[in-house]
Amino acid sequence: GPPAEGEAARPAFADEAVQTLLRRMTGLDLQKVFRPVKTELKPPKYKLMTEAQLEEATRKAIEEAKEKLVMPPVLNEREPIDDVLAEDKFLEGTETTKYVFTDLTYSIPHRERFIVVREPNGVLRKATWEERDRMIQIFFPKEGRRVIPPVVFKDEHLVTVFQQDRHEDILNMCIAQFEPDSPDYIRVHHRTYDDIEKHAKYDLLRSTRHFGGMVWYLVNRKKTDGLLTDMIHRDLLDDATSLITLYHMLHPECQSAKEAKERKLQGVDLIKVFVKTESQKEGYIQLALQAYEEAMATSTAS
Amino acid sequence: ALLAGSHLLKGYRGGHVVIRFALGGCTNRPFFRIVAAHSRRARDGKYLEQLGCLDPLPNAHGERVAGLNLERLRHWLGCGAQLSRPAEKLLGLAGFLPLHPMTVTGAERLRRRAREVAAPPAAGSSGAGDAP
Repeated sequence: GPPAEGEAARPAFADEAVQTLLRRMTGLDLQKVFRPVKTELKPPKYKLMTEAQLEEATRKAIEEAKEKLVMPPVLNEREPIDDVLAEDKFLEGTETTKYVFTDLTYSIPHRERFIVVREPNGVLRKATWEERDRMIQIFFPKEGRRVIPPVVFKDEHLVTVFQQDRHEDILNMCIAQFEPDSPDYIRVHHRTYDDIEKHAKYDLLRSTRHFGGMVWYLVNRKKTDGLLTDMIHRDLLDDATSLITLYHMLHPECQSAKEAKERKLQGVDLIKVFVKTESQKEGYIQLALQAYEEAMATSTAS
Repeated sequence: ALLAGSHLLKGYRGGHVVIRFALGGCTNRPFFRIVAAHSRRARDGKYLEQLGCLDPLPNAHGERVAGLNLERLRHWLGCGAQLSRPAEKLLGLAGFLPLHPMTVTGAERLRRRAREVAAPPAAGSSGAGDAP
């Protein structure tokens, strides 16, 4: 399977360098970040501003957009809990259903809350992660989260969502519903990223907070060819170089990483070396690069 | 003895704080609130503080849900509150207090009754066959 993230020698998702690269690749398209979310309709407000005021407003908008683009954490799957606190076998047969006891003390964090289950066979055990999430949602409800996860997160229904191109919406719902280290969260995210990579719909997530997670997933599994082609087609050479730098950070033992470090390559040369050694779909990327260079040549010539 | 003036402020003679179940809900649908109240108050009347709840009917996942505010429970027990027998049994099942002896006795009685129901028909049928 894919290697676990967060070991001491390898860079983790939350490292500053990795985050900077991912943030640069996400981009900052204000039109997309602040596109109308379905709220109640209000007539548009027009303001008359000087140039300086407009710059000030744009600067504030960029800061707010940066808030919105904070990436959700990428964690390993959580270990299942099975811890027995007491065994009282003589209670067998007195009850028919189990009891779930939740500690409702307000000041303790949800991760440390005591949630225990007394089974009909008398065993007193700690609750499983699913039981924990359900109980915490019943007694301390969170906005946007349901007690029983909606049916749309099952694999057969995710297909329908992907056909309607609503990857960003389903990922937002997933973040609201599940904890970042739950297996459902990880499964939904991986399915979404796989579907985007299969149909090359990278632009759906660009300039959203999910782009960084998608790039991290693809680079860890070395499936970066489609993304690289897409970036070159859209003339985003800086993003392409950031992607390859990230790849070298995560896989320092690969040949292109060693060559790049020796010869200290920059820009288009870095991409060419990477394409020659690491990529599977060399042909497509070479074509895209050629098209880009021709476009550059004609634009500088004219 | 009622204080002169206010109808709302009831003064009692004696009594102590108890932690017990207050019944609520609708017909054929009980719901208990675990409550710290004066012993002389009505079962469902004004209480000092709600310390949790218990739903005696099993939910869709086959579990009976109970919530207990352990921090406030400890506070009231520290203030010298007493517990009603069902409250003690529930806390024993939860593991907060040791198991109530009546829970153990109840389990033993159930098992003895089950054995008697199984054994006498066997003894009775063999005895009737043996008897002339």
